[in-house]
Amino acid sequence: MAAPQAEAPMPPANADLQTTWAYLEEGVDHIMTRLKDGISYSKYMNLYTVAYNYCVSSRMHGNLDSSVGLGGRTGANLMGSDLYNNLIRYFVSHLTELRNASDSMVDVALLTYYAAEWDRYTTGANYVNRLFTYLNRHWVKREKDEGRKNVYQVYTLALVQWKVNFFIHVQNKHTKLASAILKLIEAQRNGETIDQSLVKKVIDSFVSLGLDETDSNKASLEVYKEHFEVPFIAATEKYYKAESDLFLAENTVSDYLKKAEERLREEEDRIEREHAEKMWEDFQQLLDYDKDEDLQRMYALLARIPEGLEPLRKKFEEHVKRAGQSAISKLVGEGGANVDSLEPKVYVDALLEVYRKNQHTVQRSFKNEMGFVAALDKACRDFVNRNAATGTSTTKSPELLAKHADALLRKSNKLAEEGDLEEALNQVMILFKYIDDKDVFQTFYTTKLSKRLIHGVSASDEAEASMISKLKDACGFEYTNKLQRMFTDMSLSKDLTDQFKERIEQSGDTTGGDVGFSIMVLGTNFWPLNAPTHEFIIPREILPTYERFTRYYQNKHSGRKLTWLWNYSKNELRTNYLNQKYILMTSAYQMAVLIQYNANDTQSLEELITATGITKDLLVQILSVLVKAKILINEETDQYDLNPNFKSKKIRVNLNLPIKAEVKAEAVDVLKAVDEDRKYVIQATIVRIMKARKTLKNQALIQEVISQISARFTPKIPDIKKAIETLLEKEYIERAEGQRDTFNYLA
Amino acid sequence: MTVTLVTSDNEQFRVEKVVAQRSVLIKNMLEDVGESDQPIPLPNVTAPVLRKVLEYCDHHQTDPLPTGDEPSADESRKRTTDISEWDQKFITVDQEMLFEIILAANYLDIKPLLDVGCKTVANMIKGKSPEEIRKLFNIVNDFTPEEEAQIKKENEWAEDR
Repeated sequence: MAAPQAEAPMPPANADLQTTWAYLEEGVDHIMTRLKDGISYSKYMNLYTVAYNYCVSSRMHGNLDSSVGLGGRTGANLMGSDLYNNLIRYFVSHLTELRNASDSMVDVALLTYYAAEWDRYTTGANYVNRLFTYLNRHWVKREKDEGRKNVYQVYTLALVQWKVNFFIHVQNKHTKLASAILKLIEAQRNGETIDQSLVKKVIDSFVSLGLDETDSNKASLEVYKEHFEVPFIAATEKYYKAESDLFLAENTVSDYLKKAEERLREEEDRIEREHAEKMWEDFQQLLDYDKDEDLQRMYALLARIPEGLEPLRKKFEEHVKRAGQSAISKLVGEGGANVDSLEPKVYVDALLEVYRKNQHTVQRSFKNEMGFVAALDKACRDFVNRNAATGTSTTKSPELLAKHADALLRKSNKLAEEGDLEEALNQVMILFKYIDDKDVFQTFYTTKLSKRLIHGVSASDEAEASMISKLKDACGFEYTNKLQRMFTDMSLSKDLTDQFKERIEQSGDTTGGDVGFSIMVLGTNFWPLNAPTHEFIIPREILPTYERFTRYYQNKHSGRKLTWLWNYSKNELRTNYLNQKYILMTSAYQMAVLIQYNANDTQSLEELITATGITKDLLVQILSVLVKAKILINEETDQYDLNPNFKSKKIRVNLNLPIKAEVKAEAVDVLKAVDEDRKYVIQATIVRIMKARKTLKNQALIQEVISQISARFTPKIPDIKKAIETLLEKEYIERAEGQRDTFNYLA
Repeated sequence: MTVTLVTSDNEQFRVEKVVAQRSVLIKNMLEDVGESDQPIPLPNVTAPVLRKVLEYCDHHQTDPLPTGDEPSADESRKRTTDISEWDQKFITVDQEMLFEIILAANYLDIKPLLDVGCKTVANMIKGKSPEEIRKLFNIVNDFTPEEEAQIKKENEWAEDR
């Protein structure tokens, strides 16, 4: 089909460079200078085809018979450099013409010319870029892949040429372009009406020309900064200095202020178009150097621009994350050297420090704007749960936080002032809010609380109650139910002990001798305590008391089962065999051992095992504590003698020290307990959901479970699936007939 | 909306614009030049080949268009060696037509079709000895015995033993 316009005939597929380029150059020039005349489909296709044919020509030559296109063993011989170089030559000569035409122009005329040519040039270059798609896709790509610098896609090449052959030349003549813009802006400041879109267009071209040499997809603001921003700021300063001097000389201060306000509004309008991007860039620096007041100003300015704050929020979030991560990395040391010895307090303080500092920034500089508050929360949640100290474990942070809270609530804590303690607890709650696995915190907290209560080392009931009510506020009644029950048990136990004593006195029963006695009866379901797994022979000295209480309790509450937690019990023994009378504070096991020495000053290990029923392993550890305290002497293997020369500075001697193996096992136990709890929570949640919905698809069910549980912890999908399996087995739910992924609820 | 495509042997094809635009070349041109009822000449494509290519474009007209040359998309494209059932059937043609389709896909810039064609050729080559490959593609062995020994030595590591 013939094209509607009269055109030079298209060269054949195997045309040489000269013929090819002559045809292409005419087309390129048409596009670059006379595009408004239009271009026909056939012309477009012919140009593309000629460029394409030339690029593939080496592969076609001589291989037409097999038409395989595998000619050339290396396959590296791509055609294109000739076309590329000719394109450069064309751009250079085209731009030289533009430059010569612009030589005599200044100010608005120059800007108008520049902007019009820029429009035409970039539009044309876009066309040319597409016509040479094949060159871009193969030859240019190959050159770049092989690491050659200064080879660009055709469009980028056009911009580079514009910059070198036109823009730089014009600017070199007394920065003609920039001064023309500045002059226009000054005219506007003086109240004249100017073509703002013209200014905008020229400045946009500056931004476009900021090509990143290493990555052509990325713009840099180098050209913009050098050629516009710097002179602009200098000129602005000069202008306002002059204006305010003049104005103050002639007017009152209050007029001046009014004027200043007006001026600021105008400048902001300019800024909206020209400076927002620049400010986003410098934001990070201000954050790094805590320039609170500058941040405040930037916020106030950008807040007026729609979407002006969003990039700041993102950057702020990243900044806080980094700050949190690096604070913890510093604590942990290189390669996580100090992870195991990390003090809960130090850890918590470091996290809080980062939070406080940035919260302060949000408050002061960003006026607690919602978006920034959300960014802060998001960042905190990130670094509180995952950092150098936690590694991949999600349970480390809740564990350390719970331990820190425990330290605060103990008698031994130095924060004597009521207010200080309350404040410290509030700080704990700030981090608690960010913890993902709140159930891990709960379990550790419960364990620690039980220890405080049983050993009577809690700082104050009020502080405990206050902490519980804070947790309740944060997580609801269910979360703190157990904790509250523990307190109830404590006070019931106190009453019970009193009543029991009264009863004994009334009955005049003296079988228990002068053994003092107090009891805690603790609900199995509410306390994280484990009964001893081994035998224990109750020493006959306390047996009557033990039996009497058991009887008393069974009478009072028939049907309840009492489990004696000897492993948590403690005793006080008075010594009579030494000159000085000491009070030995012991565990029940230590007591059972020591009481044996009432009968004989020398005991063998065998005899002790038989007398107490304690397993050998544990007994050896108990004895070693007593030997270390010099109560017992162990000179011969497996023989333990009472030390007749025991001495201590204190009258009350505390022997009830934790045994090492127990401490380590504790953390493991707690985590095991958490896992166990989670299983039930997940199952219970599934049943609750299914009961309400009756029928649900697998995917929807999993989603629902996650959304309901995530307030307490983040459930793993395999765990949910396992729970579903279990419930299928237990026949709480069934698979819907004929549909593998749908479940029905079974009442 | 339809466009008219004209092959090198002067046959006209009227096709839906969405179908024609599977060719990035045609899509770009329609965007740049604007729509009109001029016929679009395709000087590098013959009628039998275009018919075949249009069959492919018609079947895949609702597929998402490949987006540029992002490395991630490129990776997954390279990794999959399998060809969908329809494509497999479509590409079951004689060797000459297969190569013509590949050339046309390259020229018209239809990346997914180019992939199907090249994968098919790759599958043809897979597991064959150099001698078998030469036979398959009608290639004359133009290596000297010395050259051949040298190449064998250099590529020894890749031999299947």
